[in-house]
Amino acid sequence: MTVVPAQTSGGGGGSSGLYDVLELVLDRGLVIDAFVRVSLVGIEILKIDVRVVVASVDTYLRFAEACNRLDLEAGPRKSPGLPEIVGEVTESGARGKSKGALSGAAQTVSEAFKEAREEHASESESRPKARRAGSARRREERE
Amino acid sequence: MSTYVYGIVSASHPALPEDLSGVGDPPREIRVLKAGELAAIVSDAPESLRPKRRDLLAHQNVLAEVGAAGCVLPMRFGNAAPDDDAVVAVLDERAEHYGERLRELDGKVEYNVKGSHVEEAVLRRVMSENAELRSLAEANRKAGGGSYDDKIRLGELVAAAVQAREAEDAAAVVRALEPAAAAVSEGPQSTGWLVNASFLVVRDRAERFLAAVEQAREDLPHLELRVNGPLPPYSFVELGPAEPAGTATGADAGAE
Repeated sequence: MTVVPAQTSGGGGGSSGLYDVLELVLDRGLVIDAFVRVSLVGIEILKIDVRVVVASVDTYLRFAEACNRLDLEAGPRKSPGLPEIVGEVTESGARGKSKGALSGAAQTVSEAFKEAREEHASESESRPKARRAGSARRREERE
Repeated sequence: MSTYVYGIVSASHPALPEDLSGVGDPPREIRVLKAGELAAIVSDAPESLRPKRRDLLAHQNVLAEVGAAGCVLPMRFGNAAPDDDAVVAVLDERAEHYGERLRELDGKVEYNVKGSHVEEAVLRRVMSENAELRSLAEANRKAGGGSYDDKIRLGELVAAAVQAREAEDAAAVVRALEPAAAAVSEGPQSTGWLVNASFLVVRDRAERFLAAVEQAREDLPHLELRVNGPLPPYSFVELGPAEPAGTATGADAGAE
């Protein structure tokens, strides 16, 4: 337990492992009512229901396109080497070639969360904007 | 000067590393406050503590170090007492409860598992399970992709099928890992993952748990599972014995 426990993190990069742990630090653990807790303004963004992302016209269209291109004769988890699928996913704005809408949504919230924290760090008064994922990431990398 | 609290340990907990640094900038020095059979891991609280990444990490790192040496009841980020005496008073007052939790959690660690769908794989899966979707997709394909309305109709049905699978897959993950854990605690849902569950695992049997995770990855290839641990038992400090696994995960999937 002496290292930041990304060691057993499967698949995702270091930052997603960090995010997954910080969620526990913020959301679980012992709370003593006799003590004062610091204000966590901005952190409620964690609770945003990203499934609304799934239920959007944009997603419907993309799913339809993806299904049209799906080769159902292939195995259950053919690696995303199908050129047309890779093109589709990349084009639709998901970040990694292997990531689609669902993990992309997770990424967005994760980054919104980072951004919320960074706005604390920068003492900015502006509200976190969940969709400014790109700039959030770039700033994250500079830290 | 108020006192920031990281966690509660037994008074016999081994000494901490000397270079342990706490929250704040510059990092505050870690101290141990003893109260009877218990002790609190604390530091001075910074004037204006906020949930910045550096401070969240400092909180987690202190607890990871403390937990490596023995059982700790981790505090949630951001608990501060008016002063050291107030911390000692709380430990004295609730000594029996915290002592019981420390004994219960001794030798156990938390593994948090979050899972999400691999898009192409889950689309493939729902298509293979649903003849209506296949025929709609086929009709669209023959029509050169289909009209806007055709696509929306297909996409909407596919999205619904994917969401239905989320509940089933969440239950399947918990069911697959629960036998290798002493307790399960399901975390908040709907935040970018379809399953978010923490497992209390006997430290000496962690390998068995991780093997179960590997097996689940093989059995559920349309899921991406992220595992973090060993962690201090954040999700198991408050309650008595956790509820049986699967009580809150909805539909019964059938292990495929």
